Amino acid sequence: MEIIKSKEEYDVIVVGSGAGGGMATKILSEAGVKVALVESGPYFDPANPEQQTQLKWPWESPRRGAGTNRAFGDFHMSYGDWSIDGEPYSSEEGTDFKWWRSRMLGGRTNHWGRISLRFGPKDFKSKDYDGLGENWPISYEDIKPYYDKLDKMVGVYGTKENMFNEPDGFFLPPPKPRLHELFYIKGARKSNVKVMPSRLSILTKRINNERGICFYCGQCDRSCSVYGDFSSSSCLVIPSLKGGMVDLYVNSMVNEVLTDNNGRANGVSFINKENGKDYKIKGKIVVLAASACATARILLNSKSKAHPNGLGNSSNLIGKYLHDTTGAGRGVFIPELLNRKIYNEDGVGGMHVYSPWWLDSKKLDFPRGYHIEIGGGMKLPQYGIGWNPNEFNKFFGLRTGGYGDSLRDDVKKYYGSTIYLSGRGEAIPLKENYCAIDTDTNDKYGIPVLKFRYKWSDNEFKQAKHMQDTFEELAYNMGGIPLGNKPTKKDNYGISVPGEIIHEVGTTRMGNDPKNSVVNKYERLHDVDNVYVVDAAPFVSQADKNPTWTIMALSMRTSEHIISELKKQNI
Amino acid sequence: MKRRDSIKTMFLGSLGATLTLKSCITSEDELMLDQVWQYNYGRTYEELKWDYKVLTGKFFSNTELKSIEKIANIILPPNDKGNIKDAGVVELFEIIAKDFSTPAHNEYGEKVLRRGLVVFDKICNVRFGLKLLYCEDIQIKAVFDDIAFSDNNDEDLQEAIRLFAVYRGMVLTGYFTSEIGINDLGYKGNTPNVWDGVPEDVLKEYSVSYDEDWISRCVDQSKRNDLAEWDEEGNLLT
Repeated sequence: MEIIKSKEEYDVIVVGSGAGGGMATKILSEAGVKVALVESGPYFDPANPEQQTQLKWPWESPRRGAGTNRAFGDFHMSYGDWSIDGEPYSSEEGTDFKWWRSRMLGGRTNHWGRISLRFGPKDFKSKDYDGLGENWPISYEDIKPYYDKLDKMVGVYGTKENMFNEPDGFFLPPPKPRLHELFYIKGARKSNVKVMPSRLSILTKRINNERGICFYCGQCDRSCSVYGDFSSSSCLVIPSLKGGMVDLYVNSMVNEVLTDNNGRANGVSFINKENGKDYKIKGKIVVLAASACATARILLNSKSKAHPNGLGNSSNLIGKYLHDTTGAGRGVFIPELLNRKIYNEDGVGGMHVYSPWWLDSKKLDFPRGYHIEIGGGMKLPQYGIGWNPNEFNKFFGLRTGGYGDSLRDDVKKYYGSTIYLSGRGEAIPLKENYCAIDTDTNDKYGIPVLKFRYKWSDNEFKQAKHMQDTFEELAYNMGGIPLGNKPTKKDNYGISVPGEIIHEVGTTRMGNDPKNSVVNKYERLHDVDNVYVVDAAPFVSQADKNPTWTIMALSMRTSEHIISELKKQNI
Repeated sequence: MKRRDSIKTMFLGSLGATLTLKSCITSEDELMLDQVWQYNYGRTYEELKWDYKVLTGKFFSNTELKSIEKIANIILPPNDKGNIKDAGVVELFEIIAKDFSTPAHNEYGEKVLRRGLVVFDKICNVRFGLKLLYCEDIQIKAVFDDIAFSDNNDEDLQEAIRLFAVYRGMVLTGYFTSEIGINDLGYKGNTPNVWDGVPEDVLKEYSVSYDEDWISRCVDQSKRNDLAEWDEEGNLLT
């Protein structure tokens, strides 16, 4: 086998260009550190008209945007979803896990919901409150300065609310609510559910002269061509490339972190997807940011004499404590919203209002909370519109189905009359939920793949039940009718399959005790002093907050730590 | 340069970038570009190849396509706002039949879309001794009256009812995702604009309002271009 070795030795090799890797690349390269950024997918720039899907109409796709190639439809900006040709994974019998991968510069930050919530003081010390899971070795005070910097650097809109566990930041002003969101506000207040402006990293106001301002097309999931929303590609990596300190390797699948005779890392090996050849590059420090499960996979596949069961795995905990956000939802039909006057209400790509967790778990039969996301409105038609043109006729004692000219009117009549409520909650991380190497299967690059074992516990089922009860009450208080049958115990209360919410974290968890954790509080492997992990793998728990903001704040903190270690010549 | 040529050039550029290690664009690539040029919507090379396959293969016979057209015109008759022909509905049937052909789609084209024609033909044949295509509209409507509504419990018609619902869904989704259909619907977005809240008359119509405290903290769109600055407490100054 031919292996191509580069002569140059980098200060730092960063693996993966998403939220964590993009941030590390920016901070390190701006400090004069020579970085190799290795990304498994192609170059991507949302401003490139050849890659752009923003502002495309459904008829510009031959399948009208249907989800044949991309799970969330043709215009969704992710190269790869829960399934990628030639890159399989499996789940142990009786369990199920769905693993989303975006193989492209910027990774999943090109398609994410931009929901940017800080973890609160309680979220770092949940075990103190309910005895479950584990506390983080750091507190809110440790990470607060980085959240503050992040707000100003990347931009997030929101409002100061002075809630203990929903810390405020440096917010841009939020957009005004849409009509269906006013209905939600009304219903939520009646139900005593806290409701406030959402917190999304979308520029409602200028933060610098490099990025444009939101022009309200509602399509952040397509990645913004004027960089009005945050993607790691457009806002971190592409600007960093201009500084001359970063070598970018695209279409390069890292399979192993390489080590010397003493077990310290000295580079990575990867397979160039274009020519199938193996490459090795050398580096003083390796920073892994391939996404929680991919990072675990690389570490577990990096076996050597010094690290016989995988790099940094003396605790045997790599891959363990894998956990995703819980999800459940319910649609609500609002009869008052029939025959709407049509105007442009695209707004930002996502909700303008939401409900943070508003209850005290001590008074409930499940330990951790959830927030509620609100969807709806007169959206850009996509494949699927009009499929059941008059199903809501049943609420008026009218026949459903039929054919003829009246169907036109039915589609118009019911357009924009549905609100969708989604609960997103915190799961308890369990050692029994994990990913591990499947020694029987390689992907098409010859790299051993992952096998998952993940089951929700009663804590999550009870939480989903509470979501469903809440949604039903909210539906009626909005003047609406909940759609479909209410999910019951038999349907596991409609809870998502683990991995479906695409917030998987926890596979190299952080802690002070090397027996009980994989990385230390600076995200450095306990076992190897020159390997760091800056994606969501070090998360001890993930609150009911979307992980991206915390991934980036931690990556910034770790990057500063690396710079100081380099300066002290400790590494 | 004609629009078609300029888009083709763009595609060649993107392919060139994708195929960094290919020394030249092959004749197969050229052929592909010739077919997919009109769909310029940010595809990867693998996706382009799939589109090419979908756009060049043939699934339905011309007779079947005529049957689909006849059905579609009864499901959604033309009026002055638009028709299924301009909306490309029949073409969409052909494309979806090939596009949803993977095992994950359980051979949708064969088992659902073509099966629909077989089942509708059979009913017409039993009733009128003719395939659907050769029936009068009034005869076809008589059949649809029995299979277009979900409240018909006739055991023998359940498959036809299920398949008709798919045909109706395809026709309406095809219509309302076309340019003409979106105009008919009246959708106003997908264009740069500045959202500044629900129009006043709409708020009145629904007897809802913005509360003062909430709205006072929302973006002042006249200052959206001013660089954001905060005090140390996080209060926005600009």
